Amino acid sequence: MAEHKIKPSIPRNSLIWLLIAQVLVILPLLWHVPLWIIGLWLVCAAWRIQVFRMRMQFPKAIVKVAMMVSAAFAVYLSRGSLVGLDAGVALLLTAFVLKLVELRSKRDALVLIYLGFFTVVTSYLFDDSILAAGYSLLSVTALLAALVGLQQTVLTGRPGKTVTQAAAILLQAIPVALLLFLFFPRLDPLWVLPAPKDKGVTGISDHMSPGDIAELSQSSELVFRASFTGEIPTQNQLYWRALTLPYFDGRTWHMQNMTSDLLAPEWQAQGDMLEYSVIMQPSSRTWLYSLAVSQTEQKDIRLMNDFRLQHNTPIHRTYLYQARAWPEALAEPKLSPEKYRFYLQLPHKVNPQARAWAQQLRQSYPDDESLVRAVLRTFNQGEYFYTLKPPRLGKHSVDEFLFATQTGFCEHYSSSMTFVLRAAGIPARVVTGYQGGEVNRAENYVQVRQYDAHSWVEYWRLGFGWHRVDPTFQVAPERIEQGLQEALRGESLNTGLLSPLSYRHINWINQLRISWDTLNYTWQKNVLGYQAERQKNWLKGLLGEISWQRIGVGLVITIALLFALISLWLFKPWQTRLSETQRLLKQFERLLAKRQYKREPAEGLRAFQARIQADLSPPQRMALDAFVHSYEQNEYANVPVPAVQLKQQLQTLRHSLAGR
Amino acid sequence: MLRQLENCLHAVNQVLLGKEHQVRMAMACLLARGHLLIEDLPGMGKTTLSHALAQVLGLSYQRVQFTSDLLPGDILGTSVFERNTGQFVFHPGPIFTQLLLADEINRATPKSQSALLEAMEERQVTIEGSTRPLPEPFFVIATQNPICQSGTFALPESQLDRFLMRLSLGYPNAEAERALLTRAITKRQAASLTQQIEKDELLKAQTQVSEVKVSDALVSYILRLVEATRTNAQFVYGLSPRGGLALLSAAKAWAFLAGRDYVIPEDVQSVLPQVVAHRLAHSAAGTGATDSTAVQWLLNEVAVF
Repeated sequence: MAEHKIKPSIPRNSLIWLLIAQVLVILPLLWHVPLWIIGLWLVCAAWRIQVFRMRMQFPKAIVKVAMMVSAAFAVYLSRGSLVGLDAGVALLLTAFVLKLVELRSKRDALVLIYLGFFTVVTSYLFDDSILAAGYSLLSVTALLAALVGLQQTVLTGRPGKTVTQAAAILLQAIPVALLLFLFFPRLDPLWVLPAPKDKGVTGISDHMSPGDIAELSQSSELVFRASFTGEIPTQNQLYWRALTLPYFDGRTWHMQNMTSDLLAPEWQAQGDMLEYSVIMQPSSRTWLYSLAVSQTEQKDIRLMNDFRLQHNTPIHRTYLYQARAWPEALAEPKLSPEKYRFYLQLPHKVNPQARAWAQQLRQSYPDDESLVRAVLRTFNQGEYFYTLKPPRLGKHSVDEFLFATQTGFCEHYSSSMTFVLRAAGIPARVVTGYQGGEVNRAENYVQVRQYDAHSWVEYWRLGFGWHRVDPTFQVAPERIEQGLQEALRGESLNTGLLSPLSYRHINWINQLRISWDTLNYTWQKNVLGYQAERQKNWLKGLLGEISWQRIGVGLVITIALLFALISLWLFKPWQTRLSETQRLLKQFERLLAKRQYKREPAEGLRAFQARIQADLSPPQRMALDAFVHSYEQNEYANVPVPAVQLKQQLQTLRHSLAGR
Repeated sequence: MLRQLENCLHAVNQVLLGKEHQVRMAMACLLARGHLLIEDLPGMGKTTLSHALAQVLGLSYQRVQFTSDLLPGDILGTSVFERNTGQFVFHPGPIFTQLLLADEINRATPKSQSALLEAMEERQVTIEGSTRPLPEPFFVIATQNPICQSGTFALPESQLDRFLMRLSLGYPNAEAERALLTRAITKRQAASLTQQIEKDELLKAQTQVSEVKVSDALVSYILRLVEATRTNAQFVYGLSPRGGLALLSAAKAWAFLAGRDYVIPEDVQSVLPQVVAHRLAHSAAGTGATDSTAVQWLLNEVAVF
């Protein structure tokens, strides 16, 4: 057996911080990895601690291999794969944890710490909010403390001191981090990161059956925030369109992809223009939220044939886009016969009553617009109710809703109205998206949550194009004007006891919630939103025409300036300005040091003089004594001696020493 | 005046051989209006030193042998009923003297010890409601035996602090010992020393010592020393402000004895071991070596300028 070299063991201090750092690093990832990792960590940590206490041995190679293989297998079992983001992170974490049991030397600890830093970065893939960023500072501090502890001796036994040092290091790094954040070129990623699996569970989907949106409104999750260049339009103008659902199968409205989808729609800008930008949360979908009719100059976004905006890849991370909208635009004044037929599509043999009612309406109102108004009037004046918990509907859902239950959520109203309009021969479609949103006055933006989900109707008239009508408005106008909370006073939204949204009526909680949201918005807008384009603009304003050389030079200069400032602050040259006599004393000491007479810091001048006197010739002794005496008089006897005299005596001493 | 003091030192050195430094230190302690604790084995000349000092300075001298049954009244004095007058008359104790030798102070009970130590600090005695001032100058030399500790009451740190200096005489060198043996100096000889200085002169010297000049640079050095005792790990606790004051006044006296009217760092360094050692905690209890190494560390490491 080969002889083991004795390697420096890992200090207790470092081990403690390493374990704490591991917990901190793993904690935010627990929602995304199998939970047995906790057990694995406990076993490995206990094992390593027992090794430290010399109660156990490090595992043998065969045990290590077995642990590794079984851990990988376990990841495969719980994630169904070994590749992909979730499985990859799980695998990384198991490696991070398993490394504990072979933590022998400093080198191993270093590997573990660097792995920890990498793992901290992976947690940003799941969550890049301000809280997550703040939290990661905590994990990084702990990792740094482990790194600091590793450099200390085994005798240093104060973990508190170590972490203060680590925190100080981190604080010092902040200016450099800020600089790099501002100036470091934003490079396009070399590969596309896979999306986390469990994202985009909630949100508007590509089909809608009765009850879908009501279910969505149980969630208070943030969907997007939008800010306007000018005034924020009134609530009843904020129809954030996501999708149109043209195909009805008797129960569910579906999105249907047509080749014509990709053709740019025909439209003319009219009326006022709104300029807005949206920061949307990841949805794992390609569609964006826009006010009709919107236009954007971003290359990766296109305006689809049904006037929705679509991104060319699914949105997996917070995404910012800017657009302009013309709410009064003339949208598609002409419809091709094929599309005309398409928007009249209805399944056979369902909802006979609704069809009959449509025929009846048609006869009474030959004009399309008055027919639409008649339908809306029915909703307004009939015994229709708006509720989150409508009764279940059977096969003829529209019939049952219109003539029997008469209670429903927005999807019931939009779905039945579209059905009736189509049955009466008017091209119509269901539009889903979000309506309204909470206005944050402080930062002038609207924040839209899942419970703002909504669906409404668009119908088409020759020459006038698509028109938006909202049957829900007829039943519950407060829903449109004040939001869902107001419309459903009786029914509580299931936001949960812990959610601040449940306490809207308590003023200070509400204020706190709004301030917190403002902070998040600022974070997303200014930190996460600071990407290549904005960086370029900002730098252009700062440096004029930009080139990478200029940025490089700028970066180097700023960092150099920063270090200069730090060193000034550390060494404080203005504080060590010496008095004339002290400067002369320094010269005196240098002069004698050249002759190998070095004064110890704790040695008084007299003692020094006494020590070296024996080696000197009488004139030298006299010169030395004269200087020492004058200095002593000046420093200790409060008898000011002119600097000239000291200088002279020093000169004499120099000469006498040189003449030896 | 300095010459007279030098004469005094010279005279004492005639009976206490080879202890020039310690004698000078004792003198400095007296001039700084402090009290002296001598810690040494029996027969090292503690009594000789105190007796000789009293003689040459012309001070009245009393000696109290501290024992475990010594009562405070035995030191301070008591009131005795006189039948003739029918009144209580105060009989002053041995403390009413100019130089008091408190021999083996750690043999007495804490009660008696504190009676003495309070008088040292206050320079007056309060008995039965009336306050009586002690004579000027008032100088206490206490001795204690560092070994044979059974049945003793060691002075606590707070009491040790009352002594300006703690001195150890130590064995004489071979030459001095030879002279001691051949010349056979006796206690009687010590008693025959003559007064070298007038009392007024001595008091004046004490005043002059307090007027010795101290520059900012020197105060900075003392502050650095004090700071070092408070921050360095080898000291359990640092020097008290009283300790710093003591260091300064001892250094003044030392400078005065050297014929200077200002203090230089070397003065501070000279008195540092005697002034500071007994005020700092033993970082490892029981080993007498630690405090002297700690003081040596102060001397070697704390920058003068």
